[in-house]
Amino acid sequence: MEALFTGLGALYLAKCDAAKTGQAFQAFLPAGFLVRAAERLLQADYHLEDICAVDCAEGYVVVYHFDHFETPGRLTLRVLAPHAAPTVPSIAQLFQGAEWHERETRDFHGVLFEGNPNFIPLLIDPDMADCFPLRKEEKARARAKDMLEAGEVVFCHPAFTLMTPDAPVEGNESGGAKPATA
Amino acid sequence: MTRYQNMEQLTGDFYTQNFAKTAREGSLILNLGPQHPSTHGVLRVIVELDGEYVMRAEPILGYLHRMHEKMAEVKTAAQFIPNMGRVDYGHAMGWNWAFVGAAEKAGGIEVPERAEYVRVITCELNRIASHLLWWGAYLLDLGAFTPIMYAFDDREKILDILQIPTGSRLTYSYFRIGGVAQDLDADCIRRIREFIPWFRSRLPMYKDLVSDNIILRKRIEEIGVIEQDVCRRYGATGPVARGSGINYDVRRAAPYSVYPKLDFEIPTSDLKCARGRYDVRMAEMEQCLRIVEQCLDMMPEGEVLVKGAPKPSWKVPKGEAYFAVEGARGKIGAYVVSDGGKNIYRTKLRAPGFCNLSLFAEVSRGTILADAVAILGSLDLIIPEIDR
Repeated sequence: MEALFTGLGALYLAKCDAAKTGQAFQAFLPAGFLVRAAERLLQADYHLEDICAVDCAEGYVVVYHFDHFETPGRLTLRVLAPHAAPTVPSIAQLFQGAEWHERETRDFHGVLFEGNPNFIPLLIDPDMADCFPLRKEEKARARAKDMLEAGEVVFCHPAFTLMTPDAPVEGNESGGAKPATA
Repeated sequence: MTRYQNMEQLTGDFYTQNFAKTAREGSLILNLGPQHPSTHGVLRVIVELDGEYVMRAEPILGYLHRMHEKMAEVKTAAQFIPNMGRVDYGHAMGWNWAFVGAAEKAGGIEVPERAEYVRVITCELNRIASHLLWWGAYLLDLGAFTPIMYAFDDREKILDILQIPTGSRLTYSYFRIGGVAQDLDADCIRRIREFIPWFRSRLPMYKDLVSDNIILRKRIEEIGVIEQDVCRRYGATGPVARGSGINYDVRRAAPYSVYPKLDFEIPTSDLKCARGRYDVRMAEMEQCLRIVEQCLDMMPEGEVLVKGAPKPSWKVPKGEAYFAVEGARGKIGAYVVSDGGKNIYRTKLRAPGFCNLSLFAEVSRGTILADAVAILGSLDLIIPEIDR
């Protein structure tokens, strides 16, 4: 599984307890490497289950769930879209099913997907499509590391603090946004 | 002659105008729905036609959107269960299961064994009811009126059975975090036992009457071929994927509950066309009967709700959990992220119909409009599930 992510600048790779979380493996990627990761998953015959965003204190964590028809095991990809400029690249050119999931995520959270071929509102009426119902108020936001399962860490970029359970520097929450080279 | 060069001359709403931007000169743009009988509820499809041929199609969603995921953020986990019955009225038990399963996973709650069997029995009976609803409605789409009368006759029997433990006939909210609301009583079990041979005797008749009918065969064979890589790229699951020869069923791929103990087959078809999907669903109903039969024999006595089951105010512990079940339309997923607060922080509902419908634009390209309707129906769409 780790081999899938070599050279993708992964910030965080971890094995997950499928019995506890329903996921087999997770990877936190810099947004710039997302399309390349999707390309590899497509080549490896993965299918896209869904895309959603979780509004955390550090930004919108965009979560991609993949699974495999022949060798089942849920693979979770995550990227961070900062609150100030929530833009991530679209993977709809590779997984065409992503088009709708991305449009839905825009409707709910206002995360923009660059390169989506038909980026118009999907579920919410176009006249009121900028209400973003699942965005949370600043004080209601929780930190990603307090909610998302850390799993059994395989690799963690030194500058990445978003998922590490006990960050040595408390309050430094820009870890995920930094570009990294692994 | 229709021309789309001047946008001011265009009628239609936002979606029609957006769709017309890339229309070719001389083509006809047609709105199917949202109140069209063949779109099952309130789905709208805009198609660009060249004569009878579909050059381009775009499903428009949202007419039944109720923002269940927001409701999940303003209710406790237990209070959200009734919503699940309303996401997909066809297979409400599957949705019940997906959500309580995710909450149980996050909370580390074990379910009593009898409750697991009760869940399987009700879920599988509901699957038959869902397939019968699809069967009747699909044939209605294709111009055959009689089958839906037979289908609803059988379906009514299942609804009567499920009404006993659940108290409802359509929008069940029967599952609880840690079990189910009520045990199946003797009367209910007797009725299920009576139903199995009855329904088994009906299936050959359906085959003779409908499945082998030459008119139906000409309508659905070699129509709407979905290749396996299309299923992958769009995330299609359930009978749509199995009708294309993909042997994938969550009950076997990511086993849950007592399914590993049960002996049943996963029907697949290599036809890849609407006929393949039709065959898979018809064969699945027989497998459902097998499962229910075994469960009735294997079901132990005992509680159906775990001791100290969560109260309505129960908080899902910190963490995340994804739980998927095999619904009548494919993989139903519930993803919960909790910060340990009163309500679940984020709930994502993965609707199988959503992914299955998303491939329609690609698959319908180049077909005749009447065949596009046959493809749409073969996907088994329940719009409230797609719009959530």
